[in-house]
Amino acid sequence: MKPRFRSRVHDERVAARIGLWLGITFGLCFITGLLSHGIQNPPGWFTWPTRPVSLYRITQGVHVISGIAAIPLLLAKLWSVYPKLFGRAHILERGSILVLVCAAFFELITGLFNVAQNYPWSFFFPTAHYAVAWVAVGALLVHIAVKLPVIKRALKTPVSDEPAPGMSRRNFLFTTGAVTGTAVLATAGSTVPWLRDVSVLAWRSSNGPQGIPVNRTARAAGVTRVDPQWTLEVIGPRLRSFTLAQLQAMPQVEAELPIACVEGWSASARWTGVRVADLLRSAGADPMSTVVVESLERAGKYRSSVLPPNHAADELTLLALRLNGEELDIDHGYPCRLIAPSRPGVLQTKWVSQVKVMS
Amino acid sequence: MTRWVIGAVGVACGLWGAWLALPLISWSFVVWLASGPLVHDVLVAPIVGGVGLLVYHACPPRWADLIAAGLATSGVLGLIALPLLWAPNAPSNPGLHDRDYGLGLLAALGVVWLVVVVVGRNK
Repeated sequence: MKPRFRSRVHDERVAARIGLWLGITFGLCFITGLLSHGIQNPPGWFTWPTRPVSLYRITQGVHVISGIAAIPLLLAKLWSVYPKLFGRAHILERGSILVLVCAAFFELITGLFNVAQNYPWSFFFPTAHYAVAWVAVGALLVHIAVKLPVIKRALKTPVSDEPAPGMSRRNFLFTTGAVTGTAVLATAGSTVPWLRDVSVLAWRSSNGPQGIPVNRTARAAGVTRVDPQWTLEVIGPRLRSFTLAQLQAMPQVEAELPIACVEGWSASARWTGVRVADLLRSAGADPMSTVVVESLERAGKYRSSVLPPNHAADELTLLALRLNGEELDIDHGYPCRLIAPSRPGVLQTKWVSQVKVMS
Repeated sequence: MTRWVIGAVGVACGLWGAWLALPLISWSFVVWLASGPLVHDVLVAPIVGGVGLLVYHACPPRWADLIAAGLATSGVLGLIALPLLWAPNAPSNPGLHDRDYGLGLLAALGVVWLVVVVVGRNK
């Protein structure tokens, strides 16, 4: 049985306009996603700037907000073209659209569950989300190439409405915009501070210790007690070791820096501690070096991180001892943690035990 | 010509993605990849169509668009709230995912329907 579709919204002018918005959100997601992937798995030619200090906060915020906006846009777009599912089309075109819809839903739904740290699947999210992103963008480009004449024609034609029952084309476009805006408002407080109390579905609150959320607790990392004999090792041309009292006696730098998670939440805080560049100099190393920062955490994928030379030498890259005027909470990485400008939160290593120069 | 270039770049990106995805293939991966269009085309779209028909038959013309828009907003808010409300294995992290999302969703729905009523009465 072939259903009959009489609604005015099943129209190429509607589909092309929503498609344009959807294409923009997917484009933003793809570019910001590639940047985040590049920062975490840098190829040799890739460098990521340290200024503005909020750069990663902004790119990753854009990633997650455009992903949320794309959910209602994708649903509206599919509704505008739903009758075509029952029509005729070339097998290749149908196949490429099936790939596009599979990949688009996969990206949006797995992304949505990931920001909630909810994993009802058995694959590793970052690898899968990255691979399928290429498939989605590839299929999207093929779709644009196939439809380009229709898109051009439809965007040039005004959205007029003949009298008919059901929602008008204009109202459908307006409603799609309103639903998208509501979805963004309901979640964007995860990263936009002044929306924190408006966004009832935001992933972060202000309940973390010292007002900052924790993505991996000391308990989860198995660092519940720090040995009073703890020292920080700095390994360069010379080997240096510092007790907590010695670090506290060094020149302290205070910086307002955001902690910005890959999962799209972020929070700005006042950090106080020792410049990593000063520690590197004390070990006889050039601060413009690649540096490995190791944690007391014994296992876990993110127990150590690599600081590229421009981040290691930056005057705002700190081993923080204090957060918002108090000694670091153990959940924030006591006795000291890395905090560098414009860098994903998973690379801001906590419970630091060793700083080692690689080059 | 432009179309051929865009199409060729698209095919190259898609093949690169497929190559990257090859080692990930598992039941779980395939199910999550295939279920989007399946659930949408077989379940979501027919429900949207049916509810739409019902709304435009049963509601006075002044209210039908507003009610349809309110239902669409409610559905999307519910979908976004789903991974927060149904999270049996989520880790407990202070400051993350620790709001009362049930209450938050109800509040958001309350505001949406309040807007529907106010706009409808002043039309």
